[in-house]
Amino acid sequence: MSNLFRFWMYCYRLSVPSYMDSTSTAVADYAAFLEKVKRTVYVDNLSPQVTESVIRTALGQFGTVKNVQFIPNYTGPKNIPCCALVEMECLRQAEAVVSEITQFPFMMSGMPRPARAFRAEVEMFDDRPIKPGRRIQCRWVDRKDPDFEVASKIKRLVRKHAAEDLFLLQQQLAQEEKLAKQQEETLKANYKKFSIIDNVVSDGTAPGLAKFYNMKAFDS
Amino acid sequence: MVEAKKVENIEFKWGKQKGVGGKKKDVKFYEAFSYDRVEYALYDSVYMYKEGETEPYIAKLMKIWENADKTKKVKVLWFFCPREISNYLGDEKTPENELFLASGEGVGSTNVNPLEAIAGKCNVVCSSKDSRNPQPSDEELQEADFVFYRTFDVGKCRILDKIDDKIAGIEVKFLLNRVGNQSSSGVPKLDSNKKVSGNVVATNDTRILTRTESYLGEKATSSSRVKFNEVTKINDRLVDNSGEMASSSSKVVQISDIKPSLANQKSSPGENSASNLGLGEMTEDNKKEGMPSDIIASSSKDGVGWIESKVDKVFAYQVLIEEKVKVAKDCGDLDDRPSKKAKLDDLAKASYDNKVTGVQKVSHDSNGSNSKSVAQTTPASEDKSKSNLTKDHHEKNSSLSKRPKPDEKLTRLANDKFPEASLRQPSEEGSKTNCQIQEVTRRPEAPWEERMQTAHEQETLVLLQNLDPSYTSAEVEDIIWHAFKQSCTVKMIQRTALASPHSGQAFVIFQKREVAEMAVAKLDEGCLMLSNGRPVVGSIAAPCFPGKQSTFFGHLAINKLRTHKQREMKEAVSTSHCSQPNTLEYEMAMDWCLLQERSDLALRKLRQQQRQELRKLWVTLKCK
Repeated sequence: MSNLFRFWMYCYRLSVPSYMDSTSTAVADYAAFLEKVKRTVYVDNLSPQVTESVIRTALGQFGTVKNVQFIPNYTGPKNIPCCALVEMECLRQAEAVVSEITQFPFMMSGMPRPARAFRAEVEMFDDRPIKPGRRIQCRWVDRKDPDFEVASKIKRLVRKHAAEDLFLLQQQLAQEEKLAKQQEETLKANYKKFSIIDNVVSDGTAPGLAKFYNMKAFDS
Repeated sequence: MVEAKKVENIEFKWGKQKGVGGKKKDVKFYEAFSYDRVEYALYDSVYMYKEGETEPYIAKLMKIWENADKTKKVKVLWFFCPREISNYLGDEKTPENELFLASGEGVGSTNVNPLEAIAGKCNVVCSSKDSRNPQPSDEELQEADFVFYRTFDVGKCRILDKIDDKIAGIEVKFLLNRVGNQSSSGVPKLDSNKKVSGNVVATNDTRILTRTESYLGEKATSSSRVKFNEVTKINDRLVDNSGEMASSSSKVVQISDIKPSLANQKSSPGENSASNLGLGEMTEDNKKEGMPSDIIASSSKDGVGWIESKVDKVFAYQVLIEEKVKVAKDCGDLDDRPSKKAKLDDLAKASYDNKVTGVQKVSHDSNGSNSKSVAQTTPASEDKSKSNLTKDHHEKNSSLSKRPKPDEKLTRLANDKFPEASLRQPSEEGSKTNCQIQEVTRRPEAPWEERMQTAHEQETLVLLQNLDPSYTSAEVEDIIWHAFKQSCTVKMIQRTALASPHSGQAFVIFQKREVAEMAVAKLDEGCLMLSNGRPVVGSIAAPCFPGKQSTFFGHLAINKLRTHKQREMKEAVSTSHCSQPNTLEYEMAMDWCLLQERSDLALRKLRQQQRQELRKLWVTLKCK
């Protein structure tokens, strides 16, 4: 996609195109980009051990995986799960991936926390083309302007929201940790029970007892 | 229905004999024969019609022989058409006339049929780039009825690109294109698209059945699988099915003597068909239009099908068929040539496009920046290219700051930024996307990350908030340019599921620390308002670099097992799967799902609240 974009740009620099020229190619690029977005799946709740090949094999079951791009986490707290954008070959495959993963808990590189999958959105891509026809305006607001006051309030609000987000994330992490610990305990207990039973069966105690009580169990 | 008399013999003549065989040495193998005035030779591709089917099957003649009782048999190796193995092709679009040669061990690759089942000769060209295959000319490819270059392994149920050395016991070189010219002139062009109500049937209905079921319907169910052995020696075996065509539970009765079985057939009243010919039997249920079950192929131009049966219905049917065949032939070439041509064109065009754009990319680079051409497609020199690109970008940066000056358009602050934006962005975009396209790996965009790290150390990294989330990095760079008259590099932070939809964020790398500080100060004290009433919030960024995260909550492992079965554990970890409802893992997964739902709910509520707060203030803005 970006190849086409550069190609267009190259043309642009050679000659001065009319406004219409540049928009039409830009529109085409943007349309192509949107199409790509539709085909892409956003996968979440990934363990840091998940690599590109893991995703490829995992989602390769649903079709052909064209591209895998991890979204790096530069802003958030350190322990939040990883996420990735997976581009599939066609829209149908992307939908299949999303529906399967949402309906059934899909494990990747570990159990039992399932991964999540959504359809990708435009803002998730960082190499996106410009939306054609968009005009951006900016201005410096004067102090005397009444809007200045409002703007300052907004700025403060934005900062507050960012802090709130961070706080919420940390709370979520704490809860996740709690659940994980809880499950680990359950798992250990279950495993203990299982290994006891296993040992008893394998070392002959159980069959012996069964014979003694005339039971038919534990006959291998 | 026309009542025909006894059917004439279709002209037949044996060609060169190849040898003798069989237990009593009374079986004669041949290399060629002429049937209905068409010359056939070993390894030719032929059409074989089945009753009730509109499309013929295509096969290669592997062995030709005549038994002691004068019955003529051929062993054929099947070609699959894309329709039949659509399950295994997936979404791949194959040209209409592509075939797949059967290969591998298993049911369904070859069959023994009566020679009379042959409906005509077919021109199949092998377009494989295999070194053993004489490459066909373009003309040959276009004239060909069908093309194949891949095989379908019936044992593994997979499409293979590589051709083995031996398929069905025959060396592959015989199956590929013949050395020398392939005479296609003598091939009667049977239009496979035309509706020719079923002529011949390969004897083994069941074989076809299993093929159909295996490859068309569900993946082969063992219940419907017919167990029959590959015929290597000549045996008068006829396999017939008494079940329904489409049902999955078809019984197969293997008989060694044909006649009694025919007598047992309930469906064919009074039809003692040419047992020698080994015709396929079908029950009433199978009959689509109540057609008789003993039908043999006929592709004769003039003759009627040659059968030894004395059934009137059959004759009439034959005549019917023969007429239709004639019609089909007359209409000549309705091959899927146009579609094939189109496909070839597309492929050529696509590859050409790639080449063109590749060339453009390189030339643009050398044009756009002062750096040398960047080695973009050599994966070997990835590191080098990475450093090249960073260098490239830095040079671009410096060149950018010079560039705006000669350009008069970039004087106004306010309106009409689009053309300028479009002028500047693509170069940036292009180069930036260049950088980013390179590194699609686990640690992505290392140049950006490196740059960010160095910027952070040098304190030139600034975080902007409250941007419109749909801005792109290039647009933000332009905004910075216009606001501060400074050029910089920007990366919009990709939005994840947790990020706020109201405010977009971006990292900005300024040239110098003072510039960064100045910008932040200005944004703090003053107010840079973007469209939609968004004052930009800026701060010195404190990014966290994703290091080796070891704490991921939710993936459990049993520690004890690890010591004993390390390798297994490793393997266990790497398989991705959907959890089954009857396992402990599933219940735990449900716990996680529940937790996730709760978190989502909390996040949604928070966002709602934030949106309301923001809206309250936005409304009071006088000019937006």
